[in-house]
Amino acid sequence: MASKADIAEGATTDKSRGGGVAKGRVLLRGVTKCFGAVDVIKGVDLEIAPGELTVFVGPSGCGKSTLLRLVSGLELPTGGSIIIGDRDVTLVHPSERGIAMVFQSYALYPHMSVAENMGFGLKIAGLPKPLIKEKVAKAAEILQLTPLLDRKPRALSGGQRQRVAIGRCIVREPEVFLFDEPLSNLDAALRGQMRVEIARLHAKLGATMIYVTHDQVEAMTLATRIVVLNAGRIEQIGAPIELYRHPANLFVAGFIGSPAMNFMDGIVEAVETDGVSVRLNGATLRLPRHDAAVKPGAKVTVGIRPEHFRVGPTPTDMDHDQAVEFDAIIDLVERLGGETLAHLRMPSLSDGVLVVKISGDVPLRIGTGLRVGVRLAQCHLFDADGRAVGEPAARAVVAA
Amino acid sequence: MSLISAPRRDVAWIGRFSALLRYAVLIGVGLLMLYPLFWMVAASFKPNHEIFGSAGLWPQEPTMDGVVKGWRTGTEYSFATYLLNSFAFIMPKVLLTVVSSVLVAYGFARFRMPGKQLWFALMVATILLPKSVLLIPQYLMFREFGWLDTYLPLYVPCAFATDGFFVFMVVQFLRGIPPDMEEAAVIDGCNSLQVLWHVVVPVIMPAIISVALFQFMWSLNDFLYPLIYLSSVGKYPVALALKMAIDVTEATAWNQVLAMSTIALLPSLIVFFLAQKYFVEGITSGSVKG
Amino acid sequence: MYDNRVSGYLYIAPFLIGLATFTLFPFLASFLLSFSDYQLQDPVEQARFLGLGNYTQMAGDDTFHGSLGVTFLYVFITVPLKLAFALFIAFVLNFKLRGIGFFRTAYYVPSILGGSVAIAVLWRYVFAGDGLINQVLVWAGGEPLNWLGEPAYALFTVVLLRLWQFGSAMVVFLAGLQNIPTDLYEAATIDGAGKAHIFFTITLPLLTPVIFFNFIMQIVQAFQEFNGPYIITGGGPLKSTYLLPLMIYEEAFKYFNVGYAAALSWALFLIIALFTIIAFASAKYWVFYGNEREDGE
Repeated sequence: MASKADIAEGATTDKSRGGGVAKGRVLLRGVTKCFGAVDVIKGVDLEIAPGELTVFVGPSGCGKSTLLRLVSGLELPTGGSIIIGDRDVTLVHPSERGIAMVFQSYALYPHMSVAENMGFGLKIAGLPKPLIKEKVAKAAEILQLTPLLDRKPRALSGGQRQRVAIGRCIVREPEVFLFDEPLSNLDAALRGQMRVEIARLHAKLGATMIYVTHDQVEAMTLATRIVVLNAGRIEQIGAPIELYRHPANLFVAGFIGSPAMNFMDGIVEAVETDGVSVRLNGATLRLPRHDAAVKPGAKVTVGIRPEHFRVGPTPTDMDHDQAVEFDAIIDLVERLGGETLAHLRMPSLSDGVLVVKISGDVPLRIGTGLRVGVRLAQCHLFDADGRAVGEPAARAVVAA
Repeated sequence: MSLISAPRRDVAWIGRFSALLRYAVLIGVGLLMLYPLFWMVAASFKPNHEIFGSAGLWPQEPTMDGVVKGWRTGTEYSFATYLLNSFAFIMPKVLLTVVSSVLVAYGFARFRMPGKQLWFALMVATILLPKSVLLIPQYLMFREFGWLDTYLPLYVPCAFATDGFFVFMVVQFLRGIPPDMEEAAVIDGCNSLQVLWHVVVPVIMPAIISVALFQFMWSLNDFLYPLIYLSSVGKYPVALALKMAIDVTEATAWNQVLAMSTIALLPSLIVFFLAQKYFVEGITSGSVKG
Repeated sequence: MYDNRVSGYLYIAPFLIGLATFTLFPFLASFLLSFSDYQLQDPVEQARFLGLGNYTQMAGDDTFHGSLGVTFLYVFITVPLKLAFALFIAFVLNFKLRGIGFFRTAYYVPSILGGSVAIAVLWRYVFAGDGLINQVLVWAGGEPLNWLGEPAYALFTVVLLRLWQFGSAMVVFLAGLQNIPTDLYEAATIDGAGKAHIFFTITLPLLTPVIFFNFIMQIVQAFQEFNGPYIITGGGPLKSTYLLPLMIYEEAFKYFNVGYAAALSWALFLIIALFTIIAFASAKYWVFYGNEREDGE
């Protein structure tokens, strides 16, 4: 997680590089927001590089929408500052920040045609009519809205309305696009389709985009970088695969990935330079870790993703030092077709039920036994405060 | 099959019976309620002796006598003058009410400010405040202003959103509208007045029409305020003229008086039938959504 | 939504000015006037302080006592009857019948017109000696009644004019009824509840906010009725329809006793305030607010 000092440093180096480079950059410094006595944003520091598609993700009420509204200027921060490009825009009117926003409800003006909706901002800005028409036509072209320009929003489908909302943004040629849960009003099929369209649009325009969603699948598929928020604070910032592989804490570990990571309580038995031994319910696991800052006797949590269990004979490529096998009893089976979620009782690991994702063609019967393998390098370890412990041995591999 | 379908036929029969009963009640009550109105319209076209004679509707010797003489009113002015007088203060009244109610409702519904709840509570309280407790000092105040026997006391207060009911109605309507569109307009570069004009006003047009219609109707019906403020007959609105004409002609010419009443009700009836859905929306938005 | 306090206050400024000028100032002025002997024809400076004089006069004024009694009678008869009837008709209307829109409109017309002078005039003719009602009575074999000349009947005609305008309350009830989600009825039916049971355990509780709204509005309006008695009966016969607003008007603008009229108007205000306060205070015991939604982000 980036500290304040890191960002401050980054900012100065950016400035020294000159103005043009910073176009489309967004910088939040110690931003806080209170509604009355409620602290919604509790000090956020964040730098978004030009051209990035950054996704704010988190459970409802985590402050992600508020943070986006602070960037847009629809809300003013209680403390801290917001910089877009080279300008401090903390107190600048939303229309002059170089942003454009797509709302969850689309927020199209019901009494205006598609063309009027898209050109409204330019009209308010006092641009000449022919120029507005030209810009609207160009944006409509990009979004395949040209045949719909004379329609009213109520005569459009959900997906078309969504595209008009995006078109309204494109016309403004903003430095930063803001998306506030733009797909949550669409049905599942259309949501997938629009997700692809937004990804394509980002590739095409190369503009900075900030995208808010509560859907971690959307976050994983769209983002250049993900910002995980919880209770008004940033839990972790990173590329999607980075968050998936190396969650910095229990919250991110549980939030990213579907189905959610399994957690098991344990106690540290021994700490060595390259590994930590953790006593679980019945078994002891020796997890490869460098510089683990835990002491023997400390309470810890071990996390294993459902897809990181392995059922059946241990594959030959699995090094026996790094993999262990346990007995399991099948408690419940959820068949999804291509794959199956097996809810297993594994007394040596935990008192509870663990979810394991396995291939769809493995025959499973409730009540029967099973051998389940765990690759130790893929296990996550968190201390009593929920922070990830030590440098995972596998990290070097990923980085390389 | 028969075991299943038999009770079903039973249910259908009960349903039809209950529907029939409902229609009977509705038609009966409706006739009872509207009959006096029909009778009034019919009586406008009857000779006087026929009105006394029967409760029936259809005139046996139809005559325009009542309508024509009624229009002349038996005073020095014809009904046209009184109608024009009514509109002379009702139009500015409606306009000012709409403008002030929308501005104030927008302020209440969309701005955070200290003391807002107190002011809002006071506004709701004014709806419940009996008018007679304000009537006398208001009269004295307008007398000091030299506004007696003018229309000013009838409509100037409306410029200041004095009818809390209308503000409340628009606020309730606005609360039902997500602010997203207005935020989009802010991002599009509007200041709050532009947001109001370009986005809010078109979106709340049904509520605005409701406000205008209700104010129009109530002002047409209003009797007490013109009664205390207006003294010259030449400035009388319909309500006062009607009362006066009755005092003059009542004993003899029933058909004239009923014809005048019918004419007096026509503007309200026409407006109501042209725009009835706005009345229903207006009256319910203040109560149900709240 | 917007944080800008200044513009917020600019928008409600008309209301604040109006509140001060046309409501709060007259409100306090009438309070002060109620302690004076002020006469309408005099300059305001001539008003003399009377102390509680007007109020002690009220205590011994038979006309006031009579008017107060008639007013209470009028309100206590019209409000419950009007609400019950409006609710009943709304309930009858709240089914998937053809022509509901027509009936709703038909029933609403009297509410639109009812406050007008024209309707009050019509009422005089309907209840006149050989007016519509008596003609129907005679046709049905009954005796014609002296509706407007007999104290007991005269109040009845004024009461009936108010009941005739049940449409506005009915439209509100109807909207309230249609707001109740049908799955609640379905769930109750599956749970085995009968029609009466459903009405008392689901419909009525969920309708209480609307009942409360209608009740307050009707009470406040009924206490202020003026046009009906002024035009139909002129307050008579024998002051049997002399409602308080009518008395206030006559004291001030017919007899010019402004001080006394102001005291009467304050009495009326206190009565209405008392009823509203009782209604609001009791609301938490019987008004059911379901899914309450807070304004917020």
